Amino acid sequence: MISCTRAALGTCSTTGFLCFILPGSQVKFPATVILSLLFVLLLCLSTALGEKPDQTIDLGQFPAETVDSVVIPVPSEIFTVLDKLGNPNWRGELGPEENYPASPNRAQVALLLGTVIADGFVAVEAEDSERVKKIGRNVLTLAEAINVRKSVVARSNSIIEKADAREWNAVRREFDGALQDVNQAMLELNDAQLAQLVSLGGWLRGTEVLTSIVKDKYSRDRAELLYQPMLVDYFNRQLDQMTPRLRRQQLVGEIRKSLGRIGPLIKKSQPSEISEETVTEINALATQMVELIRAKAG
Amino acid sequence: MNRPASRFRWPAALLVLVLAATSARAFVDDALSFAYEAANPYAERGWIIREDAWGGDLGQGDKKAVTAQLFRGNSYMFFLATDINGAALRVNIYDAEGNLAESKSWQRGRFAYAEIKPRSTGTYYAIVEIISSPEERTGWALVYGFQRK
Repeated sequence: MISCTRAALGTCSTTGFLCFILPGSQVKFPATVILSLLFVLLLCLSTALGEKPDQTIDLGQFPAETVDSVVIPVPSEIFTVLDKLGNPNWRGELGPEENYPASPNRAQVALLLGTVIADGFVAVEAEDSERVKKIGRNVLTLAEAINVRKSVVARSNSIIEKADAREWNAVRREFDGALQDVNQAMLELNDAQLAQLVSLGGWLRGTEVLTSIVKDKYSRDRAELLYQPMLVDYFNRQLDQMTPRLRRQQLVGEIRKSLGRIGPLIKKSQPSEISEETVTEINALATQMVELIRAKAG
Repeated sequence: MNRPASRFRWPAALLVLVLAATSARAFVDDALSFAYEAANPYAERGWIIREDAWGGDLGQGDKKAVTAQLFRGNSYMFFLATDINGAALRVNIYDAEGNLAESKSWQRGRFAYAEIKPRSTGTYYAIVEIISSPEERTGWALVYGFQRK
């Protein structure tokens, strides 16, 4: 047995194998174990270095490799930032308090459903539980008009229950979930285009609220939130690809025209350079579109 | 002589297509469950995990770009997962110019994570990659969340 104050190489008295002996210790490690550990350590180190992501990539190599589906941000993603940048008057941004009658025009109901869900996010920011509950019931009525009531019953009940408990993050998640459930149900009914109209309605109402708040108290930081060129392109593309029957509808046609005007306004600026005039212009267009959606439904 | 065979050719092809689509959808759904499960502890820490998500299937070494609209002022997390045991995935976030923009990322077997605090509002790209997998095609799902704080 070897005992010393420095790591030493010796021969194990019992096995006869070459061993490493730790300083001041009687513990011996076979050399093969130590060498294996060193090898594994080096391997891990080289793997870790190899897995370091590239600092830059050529996005041009990805056009055919890009996932087609676009996840539309929920209004609360933007409202959260607005909250951090000031103290918006959320109550002042709440939509009209009304029950929407069922309409035979499914495209218009789909757009309206999107705006009502977006209103739900505004009501959550305003922490107005009564309004949230009313919106939860409106979601159900509109979902019924486009045959997807079953898919949102549970969500609607949960929205009402969580609004009562003032669990605002949970309510936000339920509105997001309602949007996905409606979309999924429509896809199952082969109504993908109506599902896109729900998303578009929500985005338009969200944009109306965003521009209204930024217009009230303009700052570059707030205006930057409008820089959403990818989403505008996406919605324009969706409208262009809709069936001629849908595109011929007056409401859809008018929205297509207005959205075509919003695109260049957003894209002409750098993110940090969206002017007060541009915000006012986008607000006028978004307000006009949301009013059209509501008026046609009334 | 070929008639009976050709009579069944189209229905058989259709059946194969339906089965392929169903199985692809099923493994994306399974991957999605894993991604949500992995993201759940973050929800308990105040992150709002979106119900909408991306998904698909890729071969080993393949990459896909997922576009996302992100807003300066929020923090975002992306969770990538697969249900294939033994697979290894990776996700990294780049800005519209192709510069690495994430503040943190890690890869642990069939889960991968990236976090970003965008320096400006706009379009970002999550690059999803299957590093290795015992299967020819690996179903994946990417969920994201944002933080209000």
